[in-house]
Amino acid sequence: MLLLCFFIALTHVIAQTRTITGKVIDEKGNPIADASILVKGTTVGTFTSKEGTFSLKVSTTAKTLIVVATNFTTKEIAIDQKNDISVSLKSSSNNLDEVVVTALGISKDRKTLGYSPQTIKAEALENKGDNSLLNLLQGKVAGADITGASGSAGASTNIVLRGMSSINGSNQPLFVVDGIPISNDLDQTAGTLYGNQPANRAMDLNPSTIESINVLTGPAAAVLYGSRASNGAIVITTKKGSGQKGRVDISFSSSYSQQKVYGFPKLQNSYGQGSGGVFSSTSTSSWGPAFGATPTLTNGLITSAATNVNGINYAAGSTIDYKPYSTNLIDFFNVGNNFDNTLLINGGDTKNYFSANLGSSVTNGIMPNTNFKKNSVGFSAGSQLTNKLNISGGVNFYNTLQLGTTQGNGGNSAMFALWGVTRSTNLAYYKDNYKNLDGSNNWWVSGRDNPYFASYENPITSNLIRFIGNLKISYDVTNWLNISYRLGADAYNDRRKRIVAIGSTQASGTGRVTEDIFFRSEFNGDLLINMKKSNLFKGLNANLLLGQNINQRTYQNATVTALSLTIPNFYNVSNGTNFSSSGEYSSKRRLVGYFGQLSLGYKNYLNGELTLRVDQSSTLPKKNNSYLYYSYGGSFIFTEALKLNSKILNFGKIRASYAKVGNDAAPYKLENSFSKWSYGNNVASFSFPYGTVTGFGASSTLPNPDLTPEFSTSIEFGGNLGFLKDRLTLDVTFYKTLSTNQIIDVAIPTSTGYDSRTINVGKISNKGIELTIGGTPIKSKNFQWTISANFAKNRNVVEELYPGVTQMNLPGSYFGGVAPSVVVGQPYGVIVGSTIPRSPDGQYLIDSTTGSFATSITNQVVANPNRDWSAGLGNTFRYKNLTLSFLVDYKQGGQMLSWTIATLRSNGSLDETGVDRDKAHILPGVVSVGGGKYVSNYIQIPAQTYWSNLGGIGGGEMAVFDATTFRLRELSLTYDLPLKNTNIIKGLKLTVFGRNLFYYSPNCLIDPEVNTQGAGNIRGLELQSAPNTRNMGCSIKISL
Amino acid sequence: MNKIKIGLFAIVLTTFFSSCQKYLDVNSNPNSPTDVPPNVLLPNTSMGIGWANANVIGLATGLIMQYNAAIPTQWQSYDVYALDGSFGNQWNYEIYNGCLNNLVLLISKTNSTSPAYSGIAKIQKAYIMAMATDLWGDVPYSQAGQGLTYPQPRFDKQEDIYKGNSALGIQGLIDLTKEGLADLDKASVLTPSSDDLVYGGSLVKWKRAANSLLLKLAIQLTNVDKPTAKSLINSVIAGNLYINDNSLDLNVPFSSSVSNQNPAYVRDISGSFKNNECLSSRFLTLMRSLNDTVRLAKFYTKPNNVFTAYTNGNNTTAPTAASRSVYNTYVVGTTGEAPARLITNFQTQFILAEAALVLGTTGDANTYYQNGIKASMKLAGMLDAEINNYFTTNPTVVNLAGTQDDQLKQIITQKYIAWTGNGYESYNDYRRTGYPVLTLPLNAAGDDPTSVPKRFPYIATEGNSNPNQPNPRVKTNVKVWWGQ
Repeated sequence: MLLLCFFIALTHVIAQTRTITGKVIDEKGNPIADASILVKGTTVGTFTSKEGTFSLKVSTTAKTLIVVATNFTTKEIAIDQKNDISVSLKSSSNNLDEVVVTALGISKDRKTLGYSPQTIKAEALENKGDNSLLNLLQGKVAGADITGASGSAGASTNIVLRGMSSINGSNQPLFVVDGIPISNDLDQTAGTLYGNQPANRAMDLNPSTIESINVLTGPAAAVLYGSRASNGAIVITTKKGSGQKGRVDISFSSSYSQQKVYGFPKLQNSYGQGSGGVFSSTSTSSWGPAFGATPTLTNGLITSAATNVNGINYAAGSTIDYKPYSTNLIDFFNVGNNFDNTLLINGGDTKNYFSANLGSSVTNGIMPNTNFKKNSVGFSAGSQLTNKLNISGGVNFYNTLQLGTTQGNGGNSAMFALWGVTRSTNLAYYKDNYKNLDGSNNWWVSGRDNPYFASYENPITSNLIRFIGNLKISYDVTNWLNISYRLGADAYNDRRKRIVAIGSTQASGTGRVTEDIFFRSEFNGDLLINMKKSNLFKGLNANLLLGQNINQRTYQNATVTALSLTIPNFYNVSNGTNFSSSGEYSSKRRLVGYFGQLSLGYKNYLNGELTLRVDQSSTLPKKNNSYLYYSYGGSFIFTEALKLNSKILNFGKIRASYAKVGNDAAPYKLENSFSKWSYGNNVASFSFPYGTVTGFGASSTLPNPDLTPEFSTSIEFGGNLGFLKDRLTLDVTFYKTLSTNQIIDVAIPTSTGYDSRTINVGKISNKGIELTIGGTPIKSKNFQWTISANFAKNRNVVEELYPGVTQMNLPGSYFGGVAPSVVVGQPYGVIVGSTIPRSPDGQYLIDSTTGSFATSITNQVVANPNRDWSAGLGNTFRYKNLTLSFLVDYKQGGQMLSWTIATLRSNGSLDETGVDRDKAHILPGVVSVGGGKYVSNYIQIPAQTYWSNLGGIGGGEMAVFDATTFRLRELSLTYDLPLKNTNIIKGLKLTVFGRNLFYYSPNCLIDPEVNTQGAGNIRGLELQSAPNTRNMGCSIKISL
Repeated sequence: MNKIKIGLFAIVLTTFFSSCQKYLDVNSNPNSPTDVPPNVLLPNTSMGIGWANANVIGLATGLIMQYNAAIPTQWQSYDVYALDGSFGNQWNYEIYNGCLNNLVLLISKTNSTSPAYSGIAKIQKAYIMAMATDLWGDVPYSQAGQGLTYPQPRFDKQEDIYKGNSALGIQGLIDLTKEGLADLDKASVLTPSSDDLVYGGSLVKWKRAANSLLLKLAIQLTNVDKPTAKSLINSVIAGNLYINDNSLDLNVPFSSSVSNQNPAYVRDISGSFKNNECLSSRFLTLMRSLNDTVRLAKFYTKPNNVFTAYTNGNNTTAPTAASRSVYNTYVVGTTGEAPARLITNFQTQFILAEAALVLGTTGDANTYYQNGIKASMKLAGMLDAEINNYFTTNPTVVNLAGTQDDQLKQIITQKYIAWTGNGYESYNDYRRTGYPVLTLPLNAAGDDPTSVPKRFPYIATEGNSNPNQPNPRVKTNVKVWWGQ
C-alpha cells in the first residue's frame, strides 16, 4: 500500500525535452569514439562519433549523464542548465566508479552498492588458450573455486562461489546471459564417476562473444533472481552493436593451440612385468625381474610353458624379450589441438543496433579418438521504436558435439586399463592390434578392454542442439517510470550414444548400444516496473523496482539400452534383442515470483537498498508453497561525505548487507512412488522385467508431504578504498552464510526398509574473506604496468545434520569405501574412507607378524577437498603496442584422493617404487610390544609389499595427497598493429599464448587440479581419469 | 479515480494469484506410480531373496566355506576373513530395502483380502529375516521395514527373532512362517500365477516350502533349544507336506537373458570381474578323499580334463585363468540360467537325518542321509548308474557309522558338498555343528586371524543413523546365539 502511494504521488510530474550536445575526450584531449552517453535512471542514450561528439535529446527533468567507454573510467556528469558539455575521461584499470550489471540485468553505479560484484572484462577472456568459459575464470575471481574434471576434450568444470552449502541440491551459481537464466547443467550418461566426462552446458557459450562477466558471489547481490541464485550468479553480457552512426564493425578472430599432457607421473624403467621379482605374462604389475637380469626359469624370463607376451608367442624353454618401454604410457596420449574461429559483426546507429556472431571451435583431444566441437551462430538487435518504446532481442543457436571414451575405474575404461600397463609392455603392439581377427578385444588382462579398443570401439558421442533466445520490450511511461517485459527461453536436446562393441569384455561380450537423450528447457518471463526519482527530498534519490517473474523448467531423459547385439559394427538399437535397461525420466517445475526493490541514495555518499521477494513454487506442498525472503544493505562513501580530498586516499567506502534467500524442493518429493526394480552393482546386476514379468518396488526415499522451503542467510560487510587517484584500489569483503532447513534426503537406518527420507534439516555455515587489489605501479605514455590480485579464504563447517545422524554420503555414484560425505563438525564433502590405526602418540601401527600396516579402520574421514585459501595475481605490461600479460595462482591446501597414484604405486610403475627395490623396506610406524609399549618398526618387508601398503585403490589414507599448487596459468604476448582508423583494416592483433605452462605441487605426484566428477558436489576424487594438459598457441584478430 | 484504479488492480491481482495455483499444479510424478498391485511386488521380493542369497553373500560364504579360493586380490578380503566394511549393499539394498520393505507393503496390502499373497510374503519374510539374523546375530526385525513407524528400529535378540517374545511384541520366525501357512488356506480375491516366479502360483508348493523352512529354522536350534526343535520337526514329519522331491525345491529362477542372469555367472564367468575366484584346493582335496569327483565335475569345470584349484588366502601367482576349475553349469548354468536354490529336497533329508541323530525325531538317520546324498547327486545331474556305482564302491561314505559326533560330521560334510553354490546354508551348518572341518586360509586376517568368523560385522551406514546398533560392533569371533 505504501508503495502504491509512492506510485500515485509521482504521477503529476510533466515531461519536457531539451537537447544536449558535447564531446568526450581522454586525459590528453584526444576524442573518444563509441563512448556511450546515458541519461541516468533511463534507457535514453546515444554514442559518440569518431570525433567524440554527441547530441542527445533529454527530458528537462534529467539531472545526470553517465558516460561509459571501454578502458576508461565511467563518469557521471551533472547537466544543470548547460546544453554543451565537454567530458574528460580517465583511462583506468580500476573499477571503483563504473556501472555494473547486477541482478535482472539492472545496471547500477558500483559505488552505491552494499556488496561487491567482481567484473571480468572481455580482454581477460580472449586469447588465453581455452574455450571453456569457466576455465577462463580460474584465478581471476576471489572466492570462486573452479576445477576442471581433467584435460580430456570437453570435460566439464566445476565452479563454486563462497563454499558449498547445499547437500542435495546444486551448489553451482546461476548463469544468466543478457538477463536470461540459462542452463549450466551437467548430464551424465554413465554415472557421476564413470563415463566420458561430458561438458557442462556453460561450455556451449563462445567466450569470444562475451563483453563482460559480473560474478555476484553472495546471495545479497543475487536475491532478485530468487532461489536459484542463493549460490551466487554469473551474469554474462554479450557483445552488442557499437552504436556508431551508419557504421558496421566486423571483427574476425582465429586461434590455434596445441595441448600436451602435463602433470604426468614419473615412472621407473628398471623393472618390468611380474610379481615378486618373477616375470609373469599375466601380471598387471611391474614387480618382475630387473631389466638386464640373466634369464632363468626361476625368474620366469625363460618360459616353463608356451606363453604369449606383447603379441609374441614363445614356446616352452625360450627366452622372453624383456626390456623397458619407457614412454609406453605417455605415448598413449596424442598431442591435442584446438582451432577456434569467431566472426563478429556489429552495427547500428543511435537508435538501432544489431549484432551477429558466428563461431566454430574444434578440439581434438589428448585421448585417442576424442574430440569436442562447438558451432554457434547468433543474432541480436535492438531498436528505439519511438522515444518511449524500446525493443530488443536475440537468438543464439549452438551445436556442440563431443566424442569421448569411458574414464574412471571399470572394465571398459581406457584409463583403468592404461594404468595396468607394465613397464615392459609393448603398448605399440596393442595399439596396432587392439582387436583380434574376430573383432574381439585383444588384451592380456581378462575383464579389461585394451585402452585402444576402449577408445576406438566403445565411444560415447554427444550431439547437442541448443537455442537461447530473448526478447525485451521496454516502455517509458514517463521520464521516471519505465515498464518492461523480458522473455527468455533456453532449450536443448542432447542425443548421446554409448557403444560397447561386440567383443568387448563388457556387456557379456555381446555388445550394448545406449541411446541416451536429454532434453531441457527453461522459459522465463520478467515483468519490471522501474520508478526513479532524483532529488525526491533534499539530496535524496529514490528508485523503486517492482516485478514479477514466471519460470518453468522441464527435463526429460529417455534412455533406450539395447543389449545382446547380433550384427557386428552395427550400432543401432534395432540390433539389440534385450531392452530391459531402458527407461525414461521427466520432470517439470514452475515458479512464480513477485519482487520489489527500493534503493535510496542521499547526496551520492549514503546509499541503502531493500529487496523483497515472494516465490510460489510447484515443488512444495500447497500449504507451504509461498515464501518470502529479502535483503537489505547500504554503503557509505566516507571520502565524499567528509569531503576528504586527500591525494593519498581518494576514495573510501564501507558497506554492509544482509540477505535471506528461500529455496524450493526438487520435483516429486511429496508423494509415495514405486519404480521398476533392479538389484546388484557393477559386478553383477539384475533388472526387471524377467521375461514377461515385471517387478516394482517402493522408492528407497520416503516422501514428505510437509516440506517447507529451505533458507540461507548471509551477512557481509566490507569496503573499497582508492589510493593515489585510483592507482591502487582495494576491495575487501567479510561474509558469513548459514544454510538452514535444507531439503535433504537424509539417511535413515536402512533397517526401516528405506535408506532416506526427505526432510527439512541441517545447518551448514561458510565464512570467509575476499580481497581484490588493483594497481597501476607504472603509467607513462609508452609503458604501463597493471596488476590485479585476489585472495580468498573460506571456512566451511557442517554444523548439524539430522538428530542422531553425524554423517551422510553425498548423492551420486561413488565406490564402496570411498564416500564423499558430509560429516558434522567437518567441512562439506570430506571423503570417508579407511585409516591406519595409530599408536597413542599418533604413529602408524604395524602388524608385528607381517610388518604391514595393521588392519585399517573403516568409515574415517581421510581427505578434505576444501582448500585453505587461494590467490591469483595477474600482471599486464604494455609497451607501446606490445602487451605482455601473465596470471599466476596459488591454492593452499585441499586434499585429493588419487587412484592413479595408488595404482601406479602398488603395481610398481611409479618412479619411487624402483628406488632401492632390491633392498628390504621398513614401513614408517611402530610395533606394539605389549603393556602399552611401542617400538619403532623394525620389520623388513620386500619393496613390493612396502609399496602395496602405500598404494592400492580403495579408500585408504595413503592415496590422499595435499593439493597445494602454484601455477603459471596464463601467459600471453600481444602485438597490436598500429593502424589508422581510416584503413579498411582498422585493427590487427597478433597474440602468442600459453596456458598451464608450469605448475608446482610439492606434495602430489600428479597435477592435483583434476576431479573425476567434474561439475557437481563431489570433489577431491581422482578415480583414474585423464591427466591435465599444457596448451600453447597463437591467434590473430582482425577488425574491419 | 484512484479508488477505481486500486480496485482494478486488486481484481487483476486476485485473478492472477488464483490462476497461479493452477499454473503451479504440476507436481504429480510422471515417472513413478504412487501405488502398484501385488503382482508386481511379488516378483520383486521373490527375486530379492534369491539375489540376496546368490550375490555377494553367496560369494563371501562360498570363499569362507572354501568351496572357492580367491585369485588375488579382488575378492581376497572374504577369503582371509577381512570382512569389516563389507556387506553394506547386502544389508541395505538386498535385505532391508528391496526385500523386506516390499514384503511389509505386500503383506499389509493383501493380508485381509488376498491372503494367498500375504501367505507367500510371510514365508519370504521369514526366509530373508532368518538370513539376516543367521549372518549378523541380533538384527532389526520386529520393528524393521516399516518406514517411519519405527525410525530407528530396535535390534532384536536372535533368540527372540527365532522364537518370538510376546513381552516385547515380537512374533518369531517360526510363528510367522506358521501364519503364512495359515494364510495360504484362506480364501483369496487375488491369487498369484505367472507373477509367482518360484512356483507359478502353486500354493501347495509354497506350503511345502513353508514346512521345509520350519525344518530349517528348527534344526538351527539344536544347540540352544532341543525340545522346541524336536517337536517342531516331528510335527512337520507328521504333516508330511514338505519338500521331499527335487522337483519341489524352492528355486529362484534366472535366465540366460542379460540382466536376468544368475549373479554368480556374471561375476565369475561373463562379467568384467570374472576370473577372480576358482575351485579351492581344500574342497578339491575333500572331494578326492571321498572319491566324489564325478559330482565335483558337475559343480566345477575340468579344463583339459584336470581339476585345477588354488589355495584359500594364497597370494602367489595363480594358475592361468583358462586352466582354472570354476563353477560349472549346475551352479551358474550355461549362460547364467541356473537358479538360486534356497530350500531343497536334499536339505530337508539332511535336516531330518541330523534331527533323527541328534534329537531323536521320527525316522532313520541313515535312510535320510542316503536320501540326501542321492537327491544332491541327482540334482547335480549324475546318472542313476553313476549314483549307484558311487554307493556300491563307497560304503563307508554313504553309511553313517561311529559315534554320534562322527555321524554328525558325515551328515554335515555331505550336506556341505550338496550345498555347493549356496554358502549361506553351509556356513550356518558349520557354525552350528563345527563341520565340515575347515583349515584356516593362508594370510588370515580380520578381527581374529585364528578363527573362522562366527558372524558378519555390522554395517557402518546402519550404525551411523541407528544408535540401537551395538557400538563398538561385536567382533566376528563372538558366536551367534544358536552357534556352537
